[in-house]
Amino acid sequence: MAETVSVGRISKVAGPVVDVEFPREGLPEILHALEIDLEVEGEQKTVVAEVAQHLGRSRVRAVAMASTDGLVRGAPVRNTGSPISVPVGSQTLGHIFNMWGDSLDAPDIEFSGERWPIHRQAPPFEDVEPTRDVFETGIKVLDLICPYLRGGKVGLFGGAGVGKTVLIQEMINRVATQHDGVSVFAGVGERTREGNDLFLEMSETGVINQAALVFGQMDEPPGVRLRVALSALTMAEYFRDVQRQDVLLFIDNIFRFTQAGSEVSVLLERMPSAVGYQPTLAGEMGFLQERITSLKGRSITSMQAVYVPADDITDPAPHTAFAHLDATTVLERALTALGIYPAVDPLDSNSRALDPQIVGREHYDVATAVQRVLQRYKDLQDIIAILGVDELSEEDRLLVARARRIQRFLSQPMFVAEQFTGQPGIYTPLDETISSFKMVLDGELDHLPEQAFYMVGGAEDAMRKAREIQGAAA
Amino acid sequence: MASAELRAIRRRIRSVESTKKITRAMELIAASRIVKARERVSAARPYAEKMIEVIRNVGRASGDVGHPLLERRPVVTMGVLVVTSDRGLAGAYNSSVMRMAEARMSELQGDGVAVRLYAVGKKAQTYFSFRRYDIANTFFGVTDQPAYDDARGIGLALMEDYESGAVDAVEVFYTVYQSALSYVPSRVELLPVTPPSDVDAESSEAGGRAVSYEYEPDPAAILGRLLPRYVESALYGQLLESSASEHASRQRAMKAATENADELIKVMTRNANQARQAEITTEIAEIVGGAQALAAG
Repeated sequence: MAETVSVGRISKVAGPVVDVEFPREGLPEILHALEIDLEVEGEQKTVVAEVAQHLGRSRVRAVAMASTDGLVRGAPVRNTGSPISVPVGSQTLGHIFNMWGDSLDAPDIEFSGERWPIHRQAPPFEDVEPTRDVFETGIKVLDLICPYLRGGKVGLFGGAGVGKTVLIQEMINRVATQHDGVSVFAGVGERTREGNDLFLEMSETGVINQAALVFGQMDEPPGVRLRVALSALTMAEYFRDVQRQDVLLFIDNIFRFTQAGSEVSVLLERMPSAVGYQPTLAGEMGFLQERITSLKGRSITSMQAVYVPADDITDPAPHTAFAHLDATTVLERALTALGIYPAVDPLDSNSRALDPQIVGREHYDVATAVQRVLQRYKDLQDIIAILGVDELSEEDRLLVARARRIQRFLSQPMFVAEQFTGQPGIYTPLDETISSFKMVLDGELDHLPEQAFYMVGGAEDAMRKAREIQGAAA
Repeated sequence: MASAELRAIRRRIRSVESTKKITRAMELIAASRIVKARERVSAARPYAEKMIEVIRNVGRASGDVGHPLLERRPVVTMGVLVVTSDRGLAGAYNSSVMRMAEARMSELQGDGVAVRLYAVGKKAQTYFSFRRYDIANTFFGVTDQPAYDDARGIGLALMEDYESGAVDAVEVFYTVYQSALSYVPSRVELLPVTPPSDVDAESSEAGGRAVSYEYEPDPAAILGRLLPRYVESALYGQLLESSASEHASRQRAMKAATENADELIKVMTRNANQARQAEITTEIAEIVGGAQALAAG
């Protein structure tokens, strides 16, 4: 790595936090990388650490990016004089990296090309460009209720096991395969197996040649999970700024970034703030999110999964992510219980793009009408639970019937879930989505059984399924 | 944060509780009305039975007389009278009888018979007008406590239409009260009148005293006067049966609703407790964490 500027000695090791004493004239700056050589069971390793605090009396506190097992007081520590950096550019395509830029799939390859430090400034204000292009995902509920913007930021919110990762992988499958730029994937604190699956799948489809993957999964120390998103982002920024390409950036899962920040914060003895999170919660999120920006003529479109602890969307961690996003897709546990996948909550999800000026009047009207019907159904739910559906007025009963059809119609088979559903994925063009929902709202499909709307594409698909059901019954 | 969730749950609990008060009150009212309605049913029975007996006797004495209400015509237009309630919250009471009537109507229309619809109760009116049926006549304020005058009014309107030829037959859809738990939607042909002597030939043996009276004026004239009364009394009986069924159905529906509300309150109370506990735990964790951070520093 970088050249040694000065050498210090370890004075304290407490889990992933290491205190180092340096000579007065050779103190490393905050965020600069330190290296510690270590021999574990005859194997030579180098532990990278990042300076987090200056403690006074020439001592610094650093967060280690690998296990500190085997470190001893007095061991020498090299100050590299620069922040952690990662390889960038075309050399990264087709490979998996860890947080400090070593390749995981091909450890022997020397990445001799350009490296960029992972700590960078957000782009200047005047370069930032808002985009107004909607991009189609082919998933009805997303295109209709929370349309995504090219160059925008999307958050997928959901509790444990409601399908965030599946949806992210589905987006990779749908978007990255048809995207003519490059893709960068950051695996932050999630399952290692999923990273492996993703790599194999990308290799199969060939997307891997236009993608770089960076992983710091749940078995890594908090320092890694706190920085791995920055490593991936740095690669994406290089593609945007130097190679002037449109970039897709997938992050799964941004909550782990916050969680790692909280762990590090406690280790650094900062006073915890609301709900035990770090006091620097909003700042950390801001530094990361502000760098994910589209500039004039070149965009980063990012999709971020956000874990919602205990299904409480008002928890500070998901809540700080909200403000940065252009579109929020909220996954709802109650819908997974009904078997509706993707379990997108059409009432909580929203998008800045759902505006008549951006998506057009018809799309806007249909989307809000769908939300209105579902909202009314939700309001009636207590009455139905207490008095039964017979007590509703005729209009409300019709509305409930349509709402139930709409609810089922918002489900759709996904490509990556074929092994679970036994049904190949369906791509529904936006025009068809809008016209199909308009038909449901206008009552043109009232004669079809509810079941016909479940796991289908557009209106024609629903009619075909209705005929199948009737055929099976007859 | 969590306190917002707690507030939302508590608000819902309050709203369900007030709903529950209403359903509970309606349950009690309906329960007291059933008793009265059943008394009316049994009070009307002797008159109806006597009426049948008299008509049978008169019919026998008069022989084969022609009367407009007895005349069977080929059915071109069928009158359909549907007896429902004015108010809802009676479970499936209204919808089951209306659905039965609607099924019959589409059957008739399939056979090429025109239908002329008469609605008793607001529920039938809204149901059928929403489905774009023409309603020839509506009768409100009847079924809660039907009076004989109500039956007479409806009967008169039906018989007028029958005699004028606007309808060629009339079927009544109402609900037969069997017990507090069981009420069956039923169909009865009201017009033309089927003379009871033909129908009840066997049951008449039990209580049938074939008494020969002398009639003044002639039996045919008496029959002409009696037949409309007979129609009215049959209709009155049907209204009373329906009314008793309505109250029974309402009582049961409201009982179920009260239980559902209780269940909902129970679930939501658990959620509220959980939310409250989560809030308390968070606060304790924050206070302890803060205190320890201060102590350490």
